[in-house]
Amino acid sequence: MTAPPILAFENLDLSFQTDEGLVKVLDQVSFTLGRGRTLGLVGESGSGKSVSTRCAVQLNAKNVRIGPQSRIVLHERDGTQRDLLQLGAKEIQKIRGGEIGMIFQEPMAAFSPVYTIGNQMIEAIRLHRTTTKKAARTEAIEMLRKVGMSSPEQRVDQYPGELSGGMRQRAMIALALSTNPRVLIADEPTTALDVTIQAQVLDLMRTLQSELDMSILFITHDLGVVSQVAHDIAVMYLGHVVESGQTRSVLKNPQHPYTKGLLNALPTVNHLKKRLSPIGGDIPGPLERPTGCPFHTRCTQATAGLCDQTMPPPTEITAGHRVSCHLMTP
Amino acid sequence: MPAQTLIEVTDLQVYFPIGKKSLFNDSRLFIKAVDDVSFDIQRGETLGLVGESGSGKTTVGRALLRAYQPTGGTALFHGAEGSVDLMELEGKKLRHFRRQIQMIFQDPYASLNPRMTVRDLIAEPLEANNIEKLSKDQIDDRVRDIAALCKLNLEHLRRFPHAFSGGQRQRICIARALVGRPQFVVCDESVAALDVSIQAEILNLLQDLQDKLGTTFLFIAHDLSVVAQISDRVAVMYVGKIVEIGPTEQIFHRPRHPYTRALLSAIPRPDPDSTFTPERLTGDIPNPANLPDGCRFNTRCPMATQRCRIEEPDLRNFGDGHKTACHYAEQVAEPLKTVQARENSKNSPPKHQATLSTIAQSNEYL
Repeated sequence: MTAPPILAFENLDLSFQTDEGLVKVLDQVSFTLGRGRTLGLVGESGSGKSVSTRCAVQLNAKNVRIGPQSRIVLHERDGTQRDLLQLGAKEIQKIRGGEIGMIFQEPMAAFSPVYTIGNQMIEAIRLHRTTTKKAARTEAIEMLRKVGMSSPEQRVDQYPGELSGGMRQRAMIALALSTNPRVLIADEPTTALDVTIQAQVLDLMRTLQSELDMSILFITHDLGVVSQVAHDIAVMYLGHVVESGQTRSVLKNPQHPYTKGLLNALPTVNHLKKRLSPIGGDIPGPLERPTGCPFHTRCTQATAGLCDQTMPPPTEITAGHRVSCHLMTP
Repeated sequence: MPAQTLIEVTDLQVYFPIGKKSLFNDSRLFIKAVDDVSFDIQRGETLGLVGESGSGKTTVGRALLRAYQPTGGTALFHGAEGSVDLMELEGKKLRHFRRQIQMIFQDPYASLNPRMTVRDLIAEPLEANNIEKLSKDQIDDRVRDIAALCKLNLEHLRRFPHAFSGGQRQRICIARALVGRPQFVVCDESVAALDVSIQAEILNLLQDLQDKLGTTFLFIAHDLSVVAQISDRVAVMYVGKIVEIGPTEQIFHRPRHPYTRALLSAIPRPDPDSTFTPERLTGDIPNPANLPDGCRFNTRCPMATQRCRIEEPDLRNFGDGHKTACHYAEQVAEPLKTVQARENSKNSPPKHQATLSTIAQSNEYL
């Protein structure tokens, strides 16, 4: 069963223009978010998971250079397709926060501290739809109730600083959802929260998704979180998708050495006092990007002359499960 | 030889005053960051200290190093030169004693001076007040020894920290903490800022160093799965109090406090087959300046009764050094199957997993 696509990243190439020259950050990144599904984008720091999703709403800094072959296609309700990279400033403003909502990691940094929660929500609603202030306020209160805020009539007039971390993240979700987006980009939404609060927020996101028929792009470094919320997974390493597929397939039957290594290195509460098996070596810095397969410098099964020369193409091993590794190609 | 106690903490209190003191009124409000905490640490073991933000775990670690002035309590340190109360030390004595206790911090980017070479950074604790009267060559030898133990490349000792990745920097921090051969090291969230693949390496390194040098660790972390790998015993804190302490297996496989159970159930496991049914803790962590009466957890506990709102539970011993501060610890520890069986015999709809609230319903104590 394949859901119809709603947001497709195609061959995204991206570099940063810096004083040291052009630094390559993304290399042929492709993945597809299906309608009504959650795609977990997993990777360590510097793997390019945030950068690639920010391209969809043109939120990256001015010094990015995007490759000519790159496309990010949004499938409209009427079946037409739009390349988000080609849109002008006016048009992307309608998409950003409207069609595509966003939640960030640090809710305190995303809210303005000098306006009330309600003020900021009403502004967002009225920016994307023509309603009266009063109607927008009622909608904001309704949305706060939906995300499980107690006494939303009072909360709506509070400032972000008056709320606790978990409540603020709920307000952030309410703000993102108040414009009724079709796609929600959640960039590490629970990383700054305590585990018991994280469990509440994850629960909430799952309920809201089925209620509102939303597609979620969930960025995280935590494989535990991703296995609980995502239908599909794309594993990124140094700006390249090394493995992607349905969550069950990828986590139960990982094929790429990096995915395997990551799962082995993960401490779990199922095994106590177990010696962990780390992935050897360090993540190469942005200026020393390896040639060929980006993982070959740390891979125990790398073949000299092949892995350090050519980038392995993605191979489909079972339906929808793609792996980029020379071990997969006979 | 029975395990020897290295540190014995009794009724440790750290209060922070809030609000201004007025000229005529001396009564001030306090945030009770750590409130009557007692525990001990055996020589050569790792005690994991877990809790959510604001639980006071970092404050306990810092109070032991006397980075904070404690409000009350004692911390006996049974060193080679007899026992000392860490909380009584002053001035020069304190400075000298600090060599015995060291700290490894969370952020390896913030805790290394960018203008010092790696060699100087590691040597700094030895040179700071050269009590051992080491010559420059001796210091160099010591630096090289510890750098090799921490798997640092000896050719890199002349470089500056910016040339290193997060994992390598954390190894420099570890070398720096261990170069003075301390008996006791406080690791405060020492792997929280690292990526998973690097984190595993640092955890393994800490265990190797403990085996080789016999160092005692207090490992402070919010991540229970990390603590599960490194600790011999675990203490769980909630808003300034230890609610449960015991051997790692006991805490993880047979928790007796509802908060510990809730924490464990809230960890998402990287297994698509595992059912993720976290205990529903309603509400937020209480404000330490305005604590609820009775048990501190009663505002969020699904099992709370009238008794919990009035009477504060003491830490009770359940054998093997497993202590829990809950009036209903016996019920919490009940294996899930018994609870489920009782539930089913009552002809209630079958549940996937017994939660704390089903335990509460199925027990007669309500």
